[in-house]
Amino acid sequence: MTDLSTSFFGLTLKNPVIAGSCSLTGNIDSIVELAKAKPGAIVLKSVFEEEIDLLYQKEQNSIYTQNLDPEYLNYFDYVIKEENLGKYLDLIQQAKKLVNVPIVASVSCITSNEWISYVKRFQDAGADAIELNLFIIPSDLKRTNEENERFYFESVRKVNEMVSIPVTLKVSYYFSNLAKMMKDLSSTGIAGITLFNRFYSPDINIEKEELTAGDVLSNSDEYLLPLRWTGILSSKVDCPIAATTGIHSAETAIKMILAGAGAVQIASTIYKEGPDVIGKIIKGIEEWMNRKSYKSIKDFKGKLAVHTEDITAYERVQFMKYFGNKDK
Amino acid sequence: MNEIIETGQFSEKVFKIVVYAPRIARSRKPGHFIVLRTDENGERIPLTIADADVKKGTITLVVQKAGVSTTKLCNMKPGDKIADLVGPLGKATKIKKIGTVLACGGGVGIAPLLPIVEGFKKAGNRVISVLAGRSKELIILEDQIKKWSDEVIVMTDDGSYGHKGVVTVGAEEVIKREEVNECIVIGPTVMMKFTALLTKKYNIPTQASLNTVMVDGTGMCGACRVSVGGKTRFTCIDGPEFDAHQVDFDELILRLGGYKEEEKRAYNAYLENQNK
Amino acid sequence: MEDRKERRNQEWRKELRLKTKGKDRTSIPRAEMPMMDPLERVHYQDREVNTGLDLNTARQEATRCMDCVNPECVTGCPVNIDIPSFIKNIERGEILKAAGVLRETSALPAVCGRVCPQEKQCEAHCFYLKKLKKPAVAIGYLERFAADYEREHGVAEVPEIKKNGIKVAVVGSGPSSLSFAGSMVKKGYDVTVFEALHEIGGVLKYGIPEFRLPNDIVNSELENLEKLGVKFEKNFLVGRTSSFEDLKEEGFKGFYVASGAGLPRFMHIPGENFNGIMSSNEYLTRVNLMNAAKDEFDTPVFKGKRVVVVGGGNTAMDSVRTSKRLGADRSMIVYRRSMNEMPARLEEVKHAQDEGIEFNTLTNPIEYFADEKGHVSRVRVQKMELGEADVSGRRRPVPIEGSEYDIETDMVVVAVGVSPNPLVPSVLPDLKVSKRGTIEVNEETMQSSVPELFAGGDIVRGGATVILAMGDGRRAANGMDQYLTEKYGK
Repeated sequence: MTDLSTSFFGLTLKNPVIAGSCSLTGNIDSIVELAKAKPGAIVLKSVFEEEIDLLYQKEQNSIYTQNLDPEYLNYFDYVIKEENLGKYLDLIQQAKKLVNVPIVASVSCITSNEWISYVKRFQDAGADAIELNLFIIPSDLKRTNEENERFYFESVRKVNEMVSIPVTLKVSYYFSNLAKMMKDLSSTGIAGITLFNRFYSPDINIEKEELTAGDVLSNSDEYLLPLRWTGILSSKVDCPIAATTGIHSAETAIKMILAGAGAVQIASTIYKEGPDVIGKIIKGIEEWMNRKSYKSIKDFKGKLAVHTEDITAYERVQFMKYFGNKDK
Repeated sequence: MNEIIETGQFSEKVFKIVVYAPRIARSRKPGHFIVLRTDENGERIPLTIADADVKKGTITLVVQKAGVSTTKLCNMKPGDKIADLVGPLGKATKIKKIGTVLACGGGVGIAPLLPIVEGFKKAGNRVISVLAGRSKELIILEDQIKKWSDEVIVMTDDGSYGHKGVVTVGAEEVIKREEVNECIVIGPTVMMKFTALLTKKYNIPTQASLNTVMVDGTGMCGACRVSVGGKTRFTCIDGPEFDAHQVDFDELILRLGGYKEEEKRAYNAYLENQNK
Repeated sequence: MEDRKERRNQEWRKELRLKTKGKDRTSIPRAEMPMMDPLERVHYQDREVNTGLDLNTARQEATRCMDCVNPECVTGCPVNIDIPSFIKNIERGEILKAAGVLRETSALPAVCGRVCPQEKQCEAHCFYLKKLKKPAVAIGYLERFAADYEREHGVAEVPEIKKNGIKVAVVGSGPSSLSFAGSMVKKGYDVTVFEALHEIGGVLKYGIPEFRLPNDIVNSELENLEKLGVKFEKNFLVGRTSSFEDLKEEGFKGFYVASGAGLPRFMHIPGENFNGIMSSNEYLTRVNLMNAAKDEFDTPVFKGKRVVVVGGGNTAMDSVRTSKRLGADRSMIVYRRSMNEMPARLEEVKHAQDEGIEFNTLTNPIEYFADEKGHVSRVRVQKMELGEADVSGRRRPVPIEGSEYDIETDMVVVAVGVSPNPLVPSVLPDLKVSKRGTIEVNEETMQSSVPELFAGGDIVRGGATVILAMGDGRRAANGMDQYLTEKYGK
């Protein structure tokens, strides 16, 4: 029997296909649907600091609120925050009650104080692990790299102090010292790093001469970026790696595992093809493993990871070779 | 003003008080509690309604002498009037036909367990009750509990009655030998904490009836707040029963000691006054 | 009843206006309220800070009022009291008549004169302030004076009321309920007020401390209501002790729900459940309702020496000033906006400052720490700065990264607001309730989605002022009267 079990989120997952944080993991009905396809884990939709702020602004703008007494309104944002957090805690509880799949709570913040404190309550509500969805898009002209880096370490340190369940990070690729950052973060005691976050991308409509949004869903070759970095980092960091973005098929998932990922997180493809795609990918991995006579994930995990010490030199040689060959 | 109709004593410190409160007798359900003040200077204290007689218009309270207020109450006689009494408060126990119910009562917690045990039995469940106390003297209402249970196991710390051991020993025995669908536990907070840890191991849904510091009992002050599943809940309006596996018992135990100094001081002053 | 214009044209008013020249009026400085010395008054929870104007000072202050043709103060009053009428009666020495004018609109003038934020209401619109840039006429002081005078000298005449035998029930005994009860009993109804606690008066008793509003004042008003025939039942939770159905069976035809907004709010920051940290409701209930500070009463209260009160409203002021009176060495306010944005009554803030309360503005707590026994020992706060204004015009507080520091404390009172009482909505599923728990009513009649049920006060508005609650009570009385007359005749 092929054993698809793998280790990530500090847990043993039945298979490496994880339903990643997206709107489909934000309500109990679709979580139950997803769980039927038996993913290795489900990461609940990230709680965003700004989202709560927006909800508060919206409520502030409503006529109802405008008629209220100033003393009553004085700390109303705390009421809204608590309400929304309460809904998330309910979601964790319900998910744990109704499905048989590990449930990971996810929080995303850019100011590392009270938002970090919510992780303890996720733990109390029954979450199996925490995903810290931390990403800073370095577009702030005043913010230095030291400040950005310190934010990551501070957040991880605080969260580790607060909870006993495993903590993982999902990060962006905006680091000038990506390898060193990942290595250092991996040795803080976290249970995994997921590469990479996918951002909202602005686009332009030249006829309307307006800003629009780029496609929300990933396209198939976006996987090349996390693939490369999984390959480079997996053998060097002190915690498991998971890859995400652009994983739309079993083939891509297998590539990631060969590069050293312990698991993959998928989201866009579930939107496009429905929860059944989870089963399809799991089956696809299984079939390939049978064909190749691999009995378990660890038999081929990291087989094609890059072990060379000096990656930079290696990459430059590969680049030269590649383009060199093209000319001929 | 509510008149005391009858009093009784179960043990050195545990008393029974029957009070005339016809409206409450009519509206109350198992799990509800009341808040009373013995006199104008008294504290408001919460007490679970152990029983009620709608025809006579009375409710029965079981009280353990622990400080000034409970001592004052236990010293009252039939004919005395309680200054203020309000209820029924809290959410009633969710009673349904579920199969086998394990009811665990510790010390004076056995009293509020009685109407719940009766409710579950009447709903058609198999009811196994485990009663626990430090010694024989502290096991109360055994016959009444027996009336509504398929089986009663008594545990005493010192072995002076029933089996020797704490409540979890008796409870685990039951769990190991048959399928238990739900557990109710009422008693000292530490006892509820460990019973909950036990039932969590076996995945048995468990309700604990919490005892907290209270001032008004109607949802106004927040003194009775507990953390349940990461959320703040008020014992007087959301409880007193909660999912025992989600209650932060350690925080609760900490909060119960909040006024220990003041309570000790007040009790000593009260005793001094009595001796004058 | 004549309307305001008719009254202004009465002979005595015209004569009074001519009696003193305009510039003689405007040259009178605004009366100062005599108060207890700050250093002395911090020892007394139950002695009122303001001791009240005497007759001569009151008449002189009343002379300042210009009896404007279009008195804006009336518009500024949430219940449109005929302010010039009552003030002019004081000027001519007819204090009881002044009180009578107040009672036409306000059920509890002695209360409002003390607790209304006049600086935001009537006095904010005074001619003196708006046109002359001088201090407004002390309308609040005069209201209090007239009401107190009436209580001390008036003979409460019990009017002949023709009873109609229709029973109505009132849920809650706070200002809104009392105002409703007073109006309804005068209309001939058989009114019973049901109160969950063991004391009647709601927030007037458990919330506002005696150094602002003595219990005697409230009790005197309650006596008046009892004399008129209002019945009070304590220790009664409508919806629990008896259901609405039970009460209907007992003959009650109409229900006025004014159960208030007494559910305390917390900030839900780490450590908030340590011992020694409580809501302002808990603190004030222990001290005001249960007399916990007095030894002969059993209820304990923690008497902190370094007390931190979080918040900037009247409840925060009441809490922090109470802590001072209970012996704190340091009583501190921690408020995340600036002094200008504090919603508390200006007078309370001023009194607090005089009493030695420390104000830490632009400061917000983010975490609490405790000692080995689990009792609070420090609070970590963060400095804030004011950012852009939100839609209400108030500037948003924005945390300053890296500005955290700790304040040593042994007691914290969280005074960040309250929410509507959930009991009545929870027992009446048909009752239309907003997302935030407030009962939805017709603004004119105060009738809810359940025809025989009317509501007003904080349960409809979220936490708000006493005067608005009382205004709701009057409107609801008119609304219910109309409804019951249509339904049952009289």
